[in-house]
Amino acid sequence: MSVQESDQVTSDTEMSEAILKIKDVTRTYFMGDQEVNALRGVSLNINKGEYVAIMGPSGSGKSTLMNTIGCLDVPTSGSYHLEGVGVNEMSEDQLAEIRNEKIGFVFQTFNLVPRVSVFQNVELPLIYKGVPKRKRREIVEKAIASVGLEDRSDHKSNELSGGQRQRVAIARALVCEPSIILADEPTGNLDSKTGAEIMVLLNRLHEKGHTIILVTHEDEIAEHAHRIVRLRDGLIESDTRS
Amino acid sequence: MKLSLDIAESFKIALSAIVANKSRGALTALGIIIGIVAVITTMTAANGLKNTFRQTFSSVGADVIYVSKRPWVQMGPGFRFRNRKDISLAASDALQQRLLGRGVVNPSISSNKNVKYQSKVLEGIRISGTTEKQIIVSDMVPSTGRFLMPFDVEYKKSVAVIGSEIADGLYGNSDPIGKHIKIGRNKFLVIGVMEKQGTSFFGGPNFDRQIYIPITTYGKTLGHNGGRANVNIAIKAPSQESMADFEFEVIGEMRKIRGLKPAEDDDFSINKLDTLLDAYNNMMGAVVLVGLIITSISLFVGGVGVMNIMFVSVTERTKEIGIRKAIGAKRRSILLQFLFESSIICLFGGIIGLSIAALLTEIINEMLMPASLSPSIIITALVISVFVGVVSGFVPAYRGAKLDPIEALRYE
Ligand SMILES: Nc1ncnc2c1ncn2[C@@H]1O[C@H](COP(=O)(O)OP(=O)(O)OP(=O)(O)O)[C@@H](O)[C@H]1O
Ligand SMILES: [Mg+2]
Repeated sequence: MSVQESDQVTSDTEMSEAILKIKDVTRTYFMGDQEVNALRGVSLNINKGEYVAIMGPSGSGKSTLMNTIGCLDVPTSGSYHLEGVGVNEMSEDQLAEIRNEKIGFVFQTFNLVPRVSVFQNVELPLIYKGVPKRKRREIVEKAIASVGLEDRSDHKSNELSGGQRQRVAIARALVCEPSIILADEPTGNLDSKTGAEIMVLLNRLHEKGHTIILVTHEDEIAEHAHRIVRLRDGLIESDTRS
Repeated sequence: MKLSLDIAESFKIALSAIVANKSRGALTALGIIIGIVAVITTMTAANGLKNTFRQTFSSVGADVIYVSKRPWVQMGPGFRFRNRKDISLAASDALQQRLLGRGVVNPSISSNKNVKYQSKVLEGIRISGTTEKQIIVSDMVPSTGRFLMPFDVEYKKSVAVIGSEIADGLYGNSDPIGKHIKIGRNKFLVIGVMEKQGTSFFGGPNFDRQIYIPITTYGKTLGHNGGRANVNIAIKAPSQESMADFEFEVIGEMRKIRGLKPAEDDDFSINKLDTLLDAYNNMMGAVVLVGLIITSISLFVGGVGVMNIMFVSVTERTKEIGIRKAIGAKRRSILLQFLFESSIICLFGGIIGLSIAALLTEIINEMLMPASLSPSIIITALVISVFVGVVSGFVPAYRGAKLDPIEALRYE
């Protein structure tokens, strides 16, 4: 039943501008002789500029799906096209290039590089992209300003609060102007007030035209999105737009 | 990303990681420091020995060939050489004739005698019967007075040129020139004192305890067996470049003089500085090699230490590697980052080790022998350090580079 539902969505969006197309994707982890089917056949199209929340119980495969979309992980079977390009056959370094240029990650645990400054953290994707130093400064400063951390630029990440760290992570996710911003429980480690501030930032990015996919357990957070995809046991249970 | 940019950025990232953990970097470098100090000091000491050796035998002259009954460096049983016919003064004259004035031929003959002035006696002094050409084939000259002249040799004068130690020993502060010296049972007039040559711990001939007299006089007064004395012939080649050809020619002429048939072996030996240097290199080469092997082990241990720390460093930063990969670092970037880290630490260790080795070399130079850090040794040390860094950093760096991004990100 659920499969049919998602098929419907696929055909619905066929006409419009799909930024990513996932078809029959499975992901199986092998732990010794035990198999864990984290994704068991997921098909999903997402259009440019969409704001999607992925929900579902713990262990339902949300992070696995996000990692697949973010090209951190490759499907065991099924196909995945990002902006028309098939990801399945890519080498590890090609995937790194896609992550660098097309994906912006925001993690639950912030994942900033320790010991280096806010500026250097935000600068890092540009370094890996190969942007020359003289061009980087301006871009980085703009990104830091857009999350309101101009005055913290030279601070080390361990001198910041959780909310500030997540802002840095968002600035870092933005800095290469990615096609998609992926946020896996971005407010999970924050109190509700700080979480709301982060959501304001994400909403603003969406208004500017960014495609945003976020994972959350909280309904209030999911309400910000315009489409909610629910997973259960590695399958899409429902896919609704508001 | 362009490789050049990748290298520059990885270098900076590595440098900031080292700066962030200075004490660990210093501790890692310690192994390399010790290794470099050991290897480099061994190398400079070996060079010092070689310099000393060269200095000791500088009087031999690189462009001089010596024809003698025995080789200087004797391999195999000695009786082969003992049974050879003595080389006569006549052979030396004949050789001079046959070389037609190309090359300077100087015959000499020597033995040890006691010498005496008034009541003072010096025992076991080396007496050389030679000619005025002695100062052409060896680069020693008198500091006061004069050396032998052709007429001293021609008229069998009883004159002597003495070494500085003999001058001091027999005459003290007074000027020996014009005084007499008793060599064996014969009285000689001192006409010159040779420049002080000094000695080295290699031993070698002590020229300061030597007396030169005309070879003709030597035959008359000291030659126990008359004309059958065994002469050494020194021949200075026209130029150092023509040494090889000249040596060949000398051998040919000597064979004719000695009346050898084509199938017979030479019954004389050709000696030259190269013979000594070869012998030295054979002997010291092995010693230095053993020294370098032993000291290289310490460098190797240092390298293993670096590898160990780099493994720790990579493991500790697994999460960081995951983050870097998630935002677009390729394997090459991670690999370079850690390779640079180990190389910089090792280069740093190498520079410090080199500084300590320079200090030790200076001490050796002051106290033992002429030793110095040559540019080639400095470059070698730096290259070795970086090499150790790259080699010992590679496996840990490679392990970090090929980490799976998701697993790295999950690492706590
Ligand atoms: N690296 C792995 N090795 C083995 N099993 C894994 C691995 N990663 C995920 N799994 C398994 O796959 C399933 C889906 O995991 P996933 O992390 O996608 O869940 P999730 O929906 O994000 O859960 P949560 O809400 O708790 O974050 C789980 O059963 C999990 O144990
Ligand atoms: Mg999850």
